[in-house]
Amino acid sequence: MVREVAESCVDTMLMEMVAMYSGRFYANKPELAARRIEAIGYQVGHQLSERYTMERPRFSDHLEAIKFICKDFWSEVFKKQIDNLKTNHRGTFVLQDNKFRWLSRVSIDPSSEKETEDPSTPGESKAAQAVSMYLYFPCGIIRGVLSNLGIPCAVSADISSLPTCSFVIRVKA
Amino acid sequence: MIVCVSVVGHQNNPLYIQSFTDADDALKLHHVVHCSLDVIEERVNNPKTTLNEAFLGLLYPTLNYKVYGYLTNTKVKFILVTTDLDVRDTDVRNFFRKFHAAYVDAVSNPFHVPGKKITSRTFAQTVSNIVGSYGLN
Amino acid sequence: MAPVGPRSGDAIFSSIDRVNAELFTLTYGAIVRQLLTDLEDVDEVNKQLDQMGYNIGIRLIDEFLAKSGVSRCVDFKETAEMIAKVGFKMFLGVTASVSSWDADGTCCSIILEDNPLVDFVELPDTCQGLYYCNVLSGVIRGALEMVSMKTEVTWTRDALRGDDAYELQVKLLKQVAEEYPYKDDE
Repeated sequence: MVREVAESCVDTMLMEMVAMYSGRFYANKPELAARRIEAIGYQVGHQLSERYTMERPRFSDHLEAIKFICKDFWSEVFKKQIDNLKTNHRGTFVLQDNKFRWLSRVSIDPSSEKETEDPSTPGESKAAQAVSMYLYFPCGIIRGVLSNLGIPCAVSADISSLPTCSFVIRVKA
Repeated sequence: MIVCVSVVGHQNNPLYIQSFTDADDALKLHHVVHCSLDVIEERVNNPKTTLNEAFLGLLYPTLNYKVYGYLTNTKVKFILVTTDLDVRDTDVRNFFRKFHAAYVDAVSNPFHVPGKKITSRTFAQTVSNIVGSYGLN
Repeated sequence: MAPVGPRSGDAIFSSIDRVNAELFTLTYGAIVRQLLTDLEDVDEVNKQLDQMGYNIGIRLIDEFLAKSGVSRCVDFKETAEMIAKVGFKMFLGVTASVSSWDADGTCCSIILEDNPLVDFVELPDTCQGLYYCNVLSGVIRGALEMVSMKTEVTWTRDALRGDDAYELQVKLLKQVAEEYPYKDDE
Protein backbone atom coordinates (compact mmCIF):
# COMPACT_ATOMS: atom_id res chain seq x y z
CA MET A 1 0.00 0.00 0.00
CA VAL A 2 1.42 3.29 -1.06
CA ARG A 3 1.23 5.93 1.63
CA GLU A 4 -1.09 8.83 0.87
CA VAL A 5 -1.83 12.26 2.29
CA ALA A 6 -4.63 14.72 1.64
CA GLU A 7 -4.09 16.62 -1.59
CA SER A 8 -4.85 19.87 0.23
CA CYS A 9 -1.62 19.37 2.22
CA VAL A 10 0.37 19.59 -1.01
CA ASP A 11 -1.68 22.50 -2.34
CA THR A 12 -1.34 24.64 0.78
CA MET A 13 2.33 23.82 1.16
CA LEU A 14 3.05 24.87 -2.42
CA MET A 15 1.07 28.08 -2.08
CA GLU A 16 2.90 28.90 1.12
CA MET A 17 6.28 28.09 -0.41
CA VAL A 18 5.62 30.50 -3.28
CA ALA A 19 4.33 33.19 -0.90
CA MET A 20 7.39 32.74 1.30
CA TYR A 21 9.92 33.09 -1.49
CA SER A 22 8.25 35.63 -3.75
CA GLY A 23 6.40 37.57 -1.05
CA ARG A 24 8.64 37.50 2.01
CA PHE A 25 12.23 36.69 1.02
CA TYR A 26 12.68 38.15 -2.42
CA ALA A 27 9.70 40.48 -2.73
CA ASN A 28 11.65 42.92 -4.91
CA LYS A 29 13.71 40.35 -6.79
CA PRO A 30 11.33 38.05 -8.61
CA GLU A 31 14.19 36.43 -10.59
CA LEU A 32 15.82 35.25 -7.39
CA ALA A 33 12.51 33.95 -6.02
CA ALA A 34 11.90 32.14 -9.30
CA ARG A 35 15.31 30.49 -9.19
CA ARG A 36 14.76 29.21 -5.65
CA ILE A 37 11.30 27.86 -6.44
CA GLU A 38 12.66 26.18 -9.56
CA ALA A 39 15.54 24.69 -7.54
CA ILE A 40 13.13 23.21 -5.04
CA GLY A 41 11.21 21.65 -7.94
CA TYR A 42 14.47 20.37 -9.43
CA GLN A 43 15.37 18.43 -6.28
CA VAL A 44 11.88 16.93 -6.12
CA GLY A 45 12.00 15.91 -9.79
CA HIS A 46 15.45 14.40 -9.35
CA GLN A 47 14.28 12.23 -6.46
CA LEU A 48 10.92 11.30 -7.97
CA SER A 49 12.64 10.18 -11.17
CA GLU A 50 14.67 7.62 -9.21
CA ARG A 51 11.52 6.26 -7.61
CA TYR A 52 9.22 6.23 -10.63
CA THR A 53 11.75 4.72 -13.07
CA MET A 54 12.70 1.94 -10.70
CA GLU A 55 10.66 -0.82 -12.29
CA ARG A 56 11.23 0.22 -15.89
CA PRO A 57 13.72 -0.80 -18.54
CA ARG A 58 16.06 1.95 -19.65
CA PHE A 59 14.83 4.51 -22.13
CA SER A 60 16.48 4.14 -25.52
CA ASP A 61 16.11 7.75 -26.60
CA HIS A 62 14.96 11.21 -25.55
CA LEU A 63 11.50 10.74 -26.95
CA GLU A 64 10.93 7.68 -24.78
CA ALA A 65 11.97 9.61 -21.70
CA ILE A 66 9.64 12.49 -22.59
CA LYS A 67 6.79 10.04 -23.21
CA PHE A 68 7.45 8.57 -19.78
CA ILE A 69 6.98 12.03 -18.32
CA CYS A 70 3.77 12.52 -20.30
CA LYS A 71 2.22 9.24 -19.27
CA ASP A 72 3.55 7.40 -16.22
CA PHE A 73 5.14 10.32 -14.42
CA TRP A 74 2.28 12.74 -14.97
CA SER A 75 -0.18 10.05 -13.82
CA GLU A 76 1.72 9.40 -10.61
CA VAL A 77 1.94 13.07 -9.74
CA PHE A 78 -1.15 14.63 -11.32
CA LYS A 79 -3.45 11.64 -11.72
CA LYS A 80 -3.84 12.22 -15.43
CA GLN A 81 -1.66 12.11 -18.51
CA ILE A 82 -0.43 14.97 -20.61
CA ASP A 83 -3.12 15.69 -23.19
CA ASN A 84 -0.94 16.54 -26.12
CA LEU A 85 2.74 16.19 -26.98
CA LYS A 86 4.32 18.14 -29.81
CA THR A 87 7.91 18.17 -30.98
CA ASN A 88 9.87 19.82 -33.72
CA HIS A 89 12.21 16.81 -33.79
CA ARG A 90 15.07 19.17 -33.13
CA GLY A 91 15.11 19.03 -29.35
CA THR A 92 12.02 21.04 -28.45
CA PHE A 93 9.01 19.37 -26.88
CA VAL A 94 5.73 20.95 -25.85
CA LEU A 95 3.71 19.13 -23.20
CA GLN A 96 0.15 20.38 -23.09
CA ASP A 97 -2.07 19.83 -20.07
CA ASN A 98 -5.59 21.08 -20.73
CA LYS A 99 -6.49 21.19 -17.06
CA PHE A 100 -3.29 21.40 -15.07
CA ARG A 101 -4.25 20.12 -11.66
CA TRP A 102 -2.27 22.57 -9.58
CA LEU A 103 -3.63 25.60 -11.41
CA SER A 104 -7.21 24.50 -10.91
CA ARG A 105 -6.79 23.63 -7.26
CA VAL A 106 -4.75 26.47 -5.87
CA SER A 107 -5.89 30.03 -5.57
CA ILE A 108 -3.08 32.38 -6.34
CA ASP A 109 -3.78 35.55 -4.47
CA PRO A 110 -2.22 38.40 -6.43
CA SER A 111 -2.90 40.85 -3.63
CA SER A 112 -0.48 38.95 -1.43
CA GLU A 113 2.30 39.92 -3.83
CA LYS A 114 4.07 43.11 -2.85
CA GLU A 115 3.43 46.19 -4.94
CA THR A 116 6.43 46.07 -7.23
CA GLU A 117 6.81 47.04 -10.82
CA ASP A 118 8.44 44.28 -12.77
CA PRO A 119 10.03 46.21 -15.66
CA SER A 120 10.73 43.10 -17.69
CA THR A 121 7.04 42.35 -18.09
CA PRO A 122 5.19 45.64 -18.40
CA GLY A 123 1.45 45.27 -18.58
CA GLU A 124 1.44 41.70 -17.29
CA SER A 125 -1.22 41.47 -14.67
CA LYS A 126 -0.38 40.77 -11.07
CA ALA A 127 -2.37 37.55 -11.22
CA ALA A 128 -0.39 36.29 -14.21
CA GLN A 129 2.85 37.14 -12.44
CA ALA A 130 1.76 35.16 -9.39
CA VAL A 131 0.78 32.18 -11.52
CA SER A 132 4.09 32.30 -13.42
CA MET A 133 5.99 32.30 -10.15
CA TYR A 134 4.04 29.26 -9.01
CA LEU A 135 4.72 27.39 -12.26
CA TYR A 136 8.49 27.55 -11.74
CA PHE A 137 7.97 24.63 -9.37
CA PRO A 138 6.58 22.08 -11.89
CA CYS A 139 9.07 23.38 -14.48
CA GLY A 140 11.83 22.56 -12.00
CA ILE A 141 10.38 19.11 -11.42
CA ILE A 142 10.44 18.33 -15.14
CA ARG A 143 13.99 19.65 -15.49
CA GLY A 144 15.04 17.56 -12.49
CA VAL A 145 13.56 14.38 -13.93
CA LEU A 146 15.18 14.84 -17.35
CA SER A 147 18.50 15.87 -15.91
CA ASN A 148 18.63 12.68 -13.88
CA LEU A 149 17.85 10.68 -17.01
CA GLY A 150 20.88 12.22 -18.66
CA ILE A 151 18.98 14.86 -20.66
CA PRO A 152 20.00 18.42 -19.71
CA CYS A 153 17.38 20.93 -20.74
CA ALA A 154 15.56 24.17 -20.02
CA VAL A 155 11.88 24.09 -19.11
CA SER A 156 9.38 26.94 -19.18
CA ALA A 157 5.62 27.23 -18.82
CA ASP A 158 3.25 28.78 -21.34
CA ILE A 159 -0.06 30.01 -19.98
CA SER A 160 -1.15 32.07 -22.97
CA SER A 161 -4.24 29.94 -23.42
CA LEU A 162 -5.58 29.18 -19.97
CA PRO A 163 -6.93 26.86 -18.67
CA THR A 164 -4.46 24.97 -20.83
CA CYS A 165 -0.95 25.01 -19.47
CA SER A 166 1.94 23.97 -21.67
CA PHE A 167 5.44 23.03 -20.55
CA VAL A 168 8.11 23.74 -23.14
CA ILE A 169 11.22 21.58 -22.93
CA ARG A 170 14.34 22.63 -24.83
CA VAL A 171 16.94 19.90 -24.75
CA LYS A 172 20.49 21.20 -24.61
CA ALA A 173 22.71 19.95 -27.39
CA MET B 1 29.08 -15.71 -0.48
CA ILE B 2 28.67 -12.06 -1.38
CA VAL B 3 31.96 -10.30 -0.75
CA CYS B 4 31.30 -6.84 -2.11
CA VAL B 5 28.52 -4.52 -3.22
CA SER B 6 29.02 -1.16 -4.85
CA VAL B 7 27.14 1.83 -6.21
CA VAL B 8 28.81 3.91 -8.91
CA GLY B 9 27.47 7.14 -10.37
CA HIS B 10 27.07 8.01 -14.03
CA GLN B 11 30.46 9.68 -14.16
CA ASN B 12 31.99 6.55 -12.68
CA ASN B 13 32.17 8.37 -9.37
CA PRO B 14 32.04 5.96 -6.42
CA LEU B 15 28.90 6.48 -4.35
CA TYR B 16 29.08 3.49 -2.07
CA ILE B 17 31.20 0.42 -1.51
CA GLN B 18 30.91 -2.22 1.15
CA SER B 19 33.03 -5.33 1.53
CA PHE B 20 32.03 -8.35 3.52
CA THR B 21 35.42 -9.89 3.92
CA ASP B 22 38.88 -9.29 5.39
CA ALA B 23 40.46 -5.91 5.00
CA ASP B 24 43.25 -7.44 2.89
CA ASP B 25 40.84 -8.36 0.16
CA ALA B 26 39.12 -5.00 0.21
CA LEU B 27 41.67 -3.38 -2.08
CA LYS B 28 41.48 -6.27 -4.52
CA LEU B 29 37.72 -6.00 -4.53
CA HIS B 30 37.83 -2.28 -5.24
CA HIS B 31 39.95 -3.13 -8.25
CA VAL B 32 37.48 -5.78 -9.41
CA VAL B 33 34.65 -3.24 -9.15
CA HIS B 34 36.66 -0.71 -11.08
CA CYS B 35 37.35 -3.12 -13.93
CA SER B 36 33.72 -4.08 -14.16
CA LEU B 37 32.84 -0.49 -15.06
CA ASP B 38 34.59 -0.89 -18.41
CA VAL B 39 32.69 -4.07 -19.08
CA ILE B 40 29.41 -2.31 -18.32
CA GLU B 41 30.36 0.51 -20.66
CA GLU B 42 31.11 -1.94 -23.48
CA ARG B 43 28.03 -4.01 -22.85
CA VAL B 44 25.70 -1.01 -22.88
CA ASN B 45 27.23 0.73 -25.88
CA ASN B 46 27.40 -2.36 -28.05
CA PRO B 47 24.40 -2.19 -30.39
CA LYS B 48 24.44 -5.95 -30.80
CA THR B 49 24.02 -6.79 -27.15
CA THR B 50 22.06 -3.80 -25.96
CA LEU B 51 18.98 -4.79 -24.07
CA ASN B 52 17.24 -2.14 -22.10
CA GLU B 53 16.94 -4.27 -19.03
CA ALA B 54 18.45 -2.90 -15.86
CA PHE B 55 19.92 -6.28 -14.91
CA LEU B 56 23.08 -6.80 -16.96
CA GLY B 57 23.81 -10.30 -15.79
CA LEU B 58 27.26 -11.76 -15.30
CA LEU B 59 29.80 -9.13 -16.30
CA TYR B 60 32.87 -11.32 -16.12
CA PRO B 61 34.16 -14.18 -14.10
CA THR B 62 37.59 -13.90 -12.54
CA LEU B 63 39.57 -16.67 -10.97
CA ASN B 64 37.94 -16.26 -7.60
CA TYR B 65 34.86 -14.15 -8.16
CA LYS B 66 31.77 -13.67 -10.24
CA VAL B 67 30.80 -10.07 -10.91
CA TYR B 68 27.22 -9.04 -11.67
CA GLY B 69 26.02 -5.66 -12.87
CA TYR B 70 22.87 -3.56 -12.97
CA LEU B 71 22.34 -0.20 -14.64
CA THR B 72 19.42 2.04 -13.69
CA ASN B 73 17.56 4.48 -15.89
CA THR B 74 19.29 7.23 -13.99
CA LYS B 75 22.66 5.89 -15.14
CA VAL B 76 23.66 4.54 -11.74
CA LYS B 77 25.51 1.23 -11.61
CA PHE B 78 25.19 -1.44 -8.97
CA ILE B 79 27.90 -4.08 -8.81
CA LEU B 80 27.79 -7.34 -6.90
CA VAL B 81 30.85 -9.51 -6.36
CA THR B 82 30.40 -13.06 -5.11
CA THR B 83 32.63 -16.07 -4.47
CA ASP B 84 29.77 -18.50 -5.10
CA LEU B 85 30.32 -20.87 -7.98
CA ASP B 86 26.72 -21.86 -8.29
CA VAL B 87 24.70 -18.67 -8.68
CA ARG B 88 20.98 -18.65 -9.42
CA ASP B 89 19.76 -15.96 -11.77
CA THR B 90 16.63 -15.35 -9.70
CA ASP B 91 18.66 -14.81 -6.53
CA VAL B 92 20.82 -12.15 -8.15
CA ARG B 93 17.84 -10.43 -9.75
CA ASN B 94 16.04 -10.46 -6.41
CA PHE B 95 19.10 -9.01 -4.76
CA PHE B 96 19.33 -6.13 -7.19
CA ARG B 97 15.64 -5.42 -6.91
CA LYS B 98 15.84 -5.01 -3.14
CA PHE B 99 19.12 -3.15 -3.42
CA HIS B 100 17.57 -0.73 -5.91
CA ALA B 101 14.67 -0.04 -3.55
CA ALA B 102 17.10 0.67 -0.72
CA TYR B 103 19.12 2.96 -2.99
CA VAL B 104 16.01 4.92 -3.98
CA ASP B 105 15.11 5.44 -0.32
CA ALA B 106 18.65 6.58 0.45
CA VAL B 107 18.68 9.22 -2.30
CA SER B 108 15.20 10.35 -1.24
CA ASN B 109 16.75 11.78 1.90
CA PRO B 110 16.51 15.55 1.41
CA PHE B 111 20.01 15.90 2.85
CA HIS B 112 21.62 13.52 0.37
CA VAL B 113 23.65 15.39 -2.22
CA PRO B 114 23.31 13.83 -5.68
CA GLY B 115 26.65 12.68 -7.00
CA LYS B 116 28.19 12.56 -3.54
CA LYS B 117 28.75 9.43 -1.46
CA ILE B 118 25.80 7.85 0.29
CA THR B 119 26.31 8.29 4.01
CA SER B 120 22.99 6.95 5.22
CA ARG B 121 23.29 4.59 8.17
CA THR B 122 19.90 3.12 7.33
CA PHE B 123 21.17 2.26 3.86
CA ALA B 124 24.25 0.50 5.24
CA GLN B 125 22.07 -1.51 7.61
CA THR B 126 19.53 -2.40 4.92
CA VAL B 127 22.31 -3.51 2.57
CA SER B 128 23.73 -5.77 5.27
CA ASN B 129 20.28 -7.25 5.76
CA ILE B 130 19.79 -7.83 2.04
CA VAL B 131 23.21 -9.48 1.78
CA GLY B 132 22.41 -11.55 4.86
CA SER B 133 19.17 -12.85 3.39
CA TYR B 134 20.62 -13.50 -0.07
CA GLY B 135 19.48 -16.77 -1.54
CA LEU B 136 17.25 -17.59 1.39
CA ASN B 137 13.92 -16.88 -0.30
CA MET C 1 -33.02 19.32 12.08
CA ALA C 2 -31.07 16.74 14.01
CA PRO C 3 -27.40 17.72 14.28
CA VAL C 4 -24.99 15.55 12.30
CA GLY C 5 -22.35 14.03 14.52
CA PRO C 6 -18.67 14.56 13.79
CA ARG C 7 -17.22 12.19 11.21
CA SER C 8 -14.32 9.93 11.98
CA GLY C 9 -10.88 10.74 10.65
CA ASP C 10 -10.82 7.53 8.61
CA ALA C 11 -14.14 8.32 6.93
CA ILE C 12 -13.01 11.80 5.97
CA PHE C 13 -9.62 10.63 4.72
CA SER C 14 -11.30 8.05 2.47
CA SER C 15 -13.62 10.64 0.99
CA ILE C 16 -11.20 13.43 0.11
CA ASP C 17 -8.74 13.78 -2.75
CA ARG C 18 -5.44 12.17 -1.86
CA VAL C 19 -2.00 12.06 -3.44
CA ASN C 20 1.08 9.89 -3.11
CA ALA C 21 2.77 10.92 0.09
CA GLU C 22 6.17 10.97 -1.67
CA LEU C 23 5.32 14.16 -3.49
CA PHE C 24 4.48 15.81 -0.18
CA THR C 25 7.44 14.37 1.72
CA LEU C 26 10.01 15.20 -0.96
CA THR C 27 8.64 18.70 -1.55
CA TYR C 28 8.80 19.52 2.15
CA GLY C 29 12.31 18.09 2.32
CA ALA C 30 13.42 20.19 -0.64
CA ILE C 31 11.94 23.30 0.97
CA VAL C 32 13.80 22.63 4.22
CA ARG C 33 17.01 22.04 2.29
CA GLN C 34 16.60 25.24 0.29
CA LEU C 35 15.85 27.23 3.44
CA LEU C 36 19.03 25.92 5.05
CA THR C 37 21.01 26.95 1.98
CA ASP C 38 19.43 30.42 1.81
CA LEU C 39 19.23 31.29 5.50
CA GLU C 40 22.25 29.33 6.76
CA ASP C 41 21.09 29.76 10.36
CA VAL C 42 19.24 26.78 11.84
CA ASP C 43 17.24 28.91 14.29
CA GLU C 44 16.08 31.14 11.45
CA VAL C 45 15.01 28.06 9.47
CA ASN C 46 13.07 26.79 12.49
CA LYS C 47 11.29 30.13 12.64
CA GLN C 48 10.41 30.13 8.95
CA LEU C 49 9.10 26.57 9.14
CA ASP C 50 6.91 27.57 12.06
CA GLN C 51 5.66 30.63 10.15
CA MET C 52 4.97 28.48 7.11
CA GLY C 53 3.02 26.09 9.32
CA TYR C 54 1.07 28.92 10.90
CA ASN C 55 -0.02 30.25 7.49
CA ILE C 56 -0.99 26.74 6.41
CA GLY C 57 -2.89 26.13 9.65
CA ILE C 58 -5.06 29.20 9.26
CA ARG C 59 -6.10 27.91 5.83
CA LEU C 60 -6.60 24.26 6.73
CA ILE C 61 -8.87 24.96 9.70
CA ASP C 62 -11.77 25.85 7.38
CA GLU C 63 -11.46 22.57 5.56
CA PHE C 64 -11.16 20.77 8.86
CA LEU C 65 -14.34 22.33 10.28
CA ALA C 66 -16.26 21.82 7.05
CA LYS C 67 -15.32 18.18 6.48
CA SER C 68 -15.39 16.97 10.06
CA GLY C 69 -18.80 18.43 10.84
CA VAL C 70 -17.46 19.47 14.19
CA SER C 71 -19.06 22.47 15.80
CA ARG C 72 -16.66 24.63 17.71
CA CYS C 73 -15.14 22.74 20.60
CA VAL C 74 -15.37 24.86 23.67
CA ASP C 75 -13.45 22.36 25.71
CA PHE C 76 -9.67 22.32 25.14
CA LYS C 77 -9.56 18.61 26.01
CA GLU C 78 -12.02 17.85 23.27
CA THR C 79 -10.04 20.06 20.90
CA ALA C 80 -6.81 18.19 21.53
CA GLU C 81 -8.52 14.86 20.86
CA MET C 82 -9.96 16.22 17.62
CA ILE C 83 -6.55 17.35 16.44
CA ALA C 84 -5.02 13.99 17.20
CA LYS C 85 -7.74 11.68 15.96
CA VAL C 86 -9.37 13.66 13.17
CA GLY C 87 -6.99 16.42 12.15
CA PHE C 88 -3.85 14.35 11.67
CA LYS C 89 -5.84 11.53 10.13
CA MET C 90 -7.70 13.55 7.54
CA PHE C 91 -4.64 15.46 6.36
CA LEU C 92 -1.65 13.20 6.94
CA GLY C 93 -3.40 9.84 7.07
CA VAL C 94 -1.96 9.00 10.48
CA THR C 95 -3.40 9.10 13.99
CA ALA C 96 -1.80 10.78 16.93
CA SER C 97 -2.53 10.33 20.61
CA VAL C 98 -3.04 12.75 23.44
CA SER C 99 -1.57 12.37 26.91
CA SER C 100 0.10 14.07 29.89
CA TRP C 101 -2.74 16.40 30.79
CA ASP C 102 -2.01 18.84 33.55
CA ALA C 103 -4.41 19.38 36.46
CA ASP C 104 -6.02 22.45 34.85
CA GLY C 105 -6.67 20.71 31.57
CA THR C 106 -4.83 23.50 29.74
CA CYS C 107 -1.68 21.65 28.76
CA CYS C 108 -1.17 18.30 27.10
CA SER C 109 1.08 16.32 24.77
CA ILE C 110 0.21 15.23 21.28
CA ILE C 111 2.28 12.22 20.26
CA LEU C 112 2.93 11.09 16.72
CA GLU C 113 4.67 7.81 16.04
CA ASP C 114 4.11 7.55 12.31
CA ASN C 115 5.02 10.77 10.52
CA PRO C 116 4.94 11.11 6.71
CA LEU C 117 7.02 14.29 6.84
CA VAL C 118 10.09 12.35 7.88
CA ASP C 119 10.00 9.38 5.50
CA PHE C 120 13.54 8.84 4.14
CA VAL C 121 14.94 11.70 6.24
CA GLU C 122 18.26 11.35 8.05
CA LEU C 123 19.56 14.53 9.63
CA PRO C 124 23.24 15.23 9.05
CA ASP C 125 25.39 16.08 12.06
CA THR C 126 25.69 19.64 10.82
CA CYS C 127 21.99 20.22 11.50
CA GLN C 128 21.97 20.00 15.25
CA GLY C 129 19.30 22.33 16.49
CA LEU C 130 17.05 21.93 13.48
CA TYR C 131 13.44 21.08 14.25
CA TYR C 132 12.79 19.43 10.92
CA CYS C 133 9.02 19.04 11.55
CA ASN C 134 8.55 22.54 12.86
CA VAL C 135 5.87 23.18 10.27
CA LEU C 136 3.59 20.97 12.38
CA SER C 137 3.84 23.14 15.46
CA GLY C 138 2.95 26.17 13.36
CA VAL C 139 -0.03 24.41 11.78
CA ILE C 140 -1.50 23.52 15.17
CA ARG C 141 -0.90 26.99 16.56
CA GLY C 142 -2.40 28.68 13.48
CA ALA C 143 -5.44 26.42 13.29
CA LEU C 144 -6.24 26.85 16.98
CA GLU C 145 -5.88 30.59 16.79
CA MET C 146 -8.63 30.63 14.17
CA VAL C 147 -10.96 28.98 16.68
CA SER C 148 -10.10 31.55 19.29
CA MET C 149 -7.53 29.53 21.22
CA LYS C 150 -4.15 31.09 21.69
CA THR C 151 -1.57 28.40 22.32
CA GLU C 152 2.12 27.80 22.76
CA VAL C 153 3.36 24.69 20.94
CA THR C 154 6.79 23.23 21.64
CA TRP C 155 8.66 20.03 20.81
CA THR C 156 9.44 17.70 23.68
CA ARG C 157 10.47 14.67 21.64
CA ASP C 158 11.86 14.46 18.10
CA ALA C 159 12.64 11.05 16.59
CA LEU C 160 15.03 12.62 14.07
CA ARG C 161 17.11 13.74 17.02
CA GLY C 162 17.21 10.30 18.59
CA ASP C 163 13.96 10.13 20.55
CA ASP C 164 11.45 7.33 19.99
CA ALA C 165 8.53 9.46 18.81
CA TYR C 166 7.42 12.99 17.91
CA GLU C 167 5.85 14.78 20.84
CA LEU C 168 4.39 18.27 20.85
CA GLN C 169 3.40 20.03 24.02
CA VAL C 170 0.35 22.19 23.45
CA LYS C 171 -0.34 24.80 26.11
CA LEU C 172 -3.53 26.83 26.07
CA LEU C 173 -2.68 30.43 26.92
CA LYS C 174 -5.96 32.15 26.29
CA GLN C 175 -9.36 31.16 25.07
CA VAL C 176 -11.66 33.92 23.84
CA ALA C 177 -15.22 33.11 24.85
CA GLU C 178 -17.85 32.79 22.15
CA GLU C 179 -19.56 36.14 21.74
CA TYR C 180 -23.30 36.24 21.43
CA PRO C 181 -24.40 38.08 18.32
CA TYR C 182 -27.06 40.03 20.17
CA LYS C 183 -26.33 41.93 23.30
CA ASP C 184 -29.02 42.89 25.78
CA ASP C 185 -29.85 46.56 26.14
CA GLU C 186 -27.81 47.51 23.16
